[in-house]
Amino acid sequence: MIRVDGQIVSPGAGGVYNERMVQGYRVWDPYRSKLSALCMLDDSIDLSGTMRVLYLGAANGTTVSHVADYVEVVYAVEFAPRPLRDLLVVAEKRKNIVPIAGDATRPDRYAPYLEEVDLLYQDVAQPDQAGILLKHLPFLTTGGQVILMLKTRSVDIRRTPEEVFAETIERLTEGGLIVQKTFWLEPYHHDHAAIVCTLT
Amino acid sequence: MEYWCLSVDDRGDLLPVEGAPLDLLARVRSIATDMRTFRPLTADMIQKSGLFSDRSEYIRRLREVTTLQAREEIRDAVSGKDAELLQMVRMLDQMDEVINLLSERLVEWYQVTNPAFSQKGKQGSVKRILPKILRSRSPPLRGMAKEMEGLMEARTALAAEVSRLAGRVIPNTSELVGGLVAARIMARAGGLEKLARMPGSSVQVIGAEAALFSHIRQGSPSPKHGIIFQHRRVHNAPREVRGRVARVLAAKLAIGARIDFFRGEPDPEFLASAQAMIDSMVGGSL
Repeated sequence: MIRVDGQIVSPGAGGVYNERMVQGYRVWDPYRSKLSALCMLDDSIDLSGTMRVLYLGAANGTTVSHVADYVEVVYAVEFAPRPLRDLLVVAEKRKNIVPIAGDATRPDRYAPYLEEVDLLYQDVAQPDQAGILLKHLPFLTTGGQVILMLKTRSVDIRRTPEEVFAETIERLTEGGLIVQKTFWLEPYHHDHAAIVCTLT
Repeated sequence: MEYWCLSVDDRGDLLPVEGAPLDLLARVRSIATDMRTFRPLTADMIQKSGLFSDRSEYIRRLREVTTLQAREEIRDAVSGKDAELLQMVRMLDQMDEVINLLSERLVEWYQVTNPAFSQKGKQGSVKRILPKILRSRSPPLRGMAKEMEGLMEARTALAAEVSRLAGRVIPNTSELVGGLVAARIMARAGGLEKLARMPGSSVQVIGAEAALFSHIRQGSPSPKHGIIFQHRRVHNAPREVRGRVARVLAAKLAIGARIDFFRGEPDPEFLASAQAMIDSMVGGSL
């Protein structure tokens, strides 16, 4: 990751969402983007120019635009029509974003578009986040990496974030993933955990 | 195995598929993928198909198809008949907020220009105070009051329009609780399709989310009714049966919403039986 004065930045044309620029780089705000927050907490997270990324929960393309600055291609899946519209605008300027209108609980509907990817990144506000992630493992190349941004509040607000987190880890392990590292994204995001895994 | 731009048959032979983006999109929509056996495209397969001169052409052509699909889905989402009704309801509710806010300020201002005026006993009736304010000695205050009058007229007109449109777009739910309340419930659910897919129990507490979540979290009493309370048969019902009326009415609304969404026409038979059932409950005989 490129850092300027301790801030995470990305190379690329600015003006996607009024982000600040430093030394010609786009500042990637950890308070807005969970991936940036994760990079602040973990130096070893990296994106490279040869990477193919499957991004679930692309929303309006803010984080996607930064990821696209680093990698070869991003397959950006978003379900809701409103943010999808913004995502298309972002994809107009960045030719390595493949915007996909799809429901992440139904990967079979967009599977024909996808190729093998090196990184599976998921940030969706859904109850069954572990289940969604496991459904997408067929798209991951051997030795590929998985980053799950767990929104514990979306899973079940009746249980504590810690309970939801523990259960998710268990399900991912049962599903054949090796959990490498986990972080709570404090102070940037509350009740959000980042879970970094690899495929066995 | 079928992919957007090629297919691989049982013997492992690769068959390229040519076509305009629109044809490829139709093809993708017709593919039934079984995720248990699915293997994604590989760079090798893409290259062997001979369809693309290089990697950037592959991405460019793929983007044409997926962008087309995304645009279609956005268009479908906003083209529903309920989309405009939804916006109108939200506008109406926001106008209410604005009118309340501004009228409080107007009354405060009027009090300053007319110290003899007291609001005692006149609570909540800006309509009755407004004519007075319009005759105030202060020209800027009169001007504001005039604007306020216009705003209230616009609000009334919009409410009538919401009622009328609801009668056409969601005829069954409108018949049960009136167009305004039906439209509010639909808007809060996030659209007609969402409402049609909702269980009656959710319809019952739509608009009482704060109470519902405090019930789930802290075990406080569960809400008996949300927006549905605005309907006279719920708020006029005796306390003891109010929850029951709300429950039955919500269940019938859920059915009505499904008829509205899938058929879009009033169903007199359903309406008659639903009305009879709700009315019998208000009578206390159930």
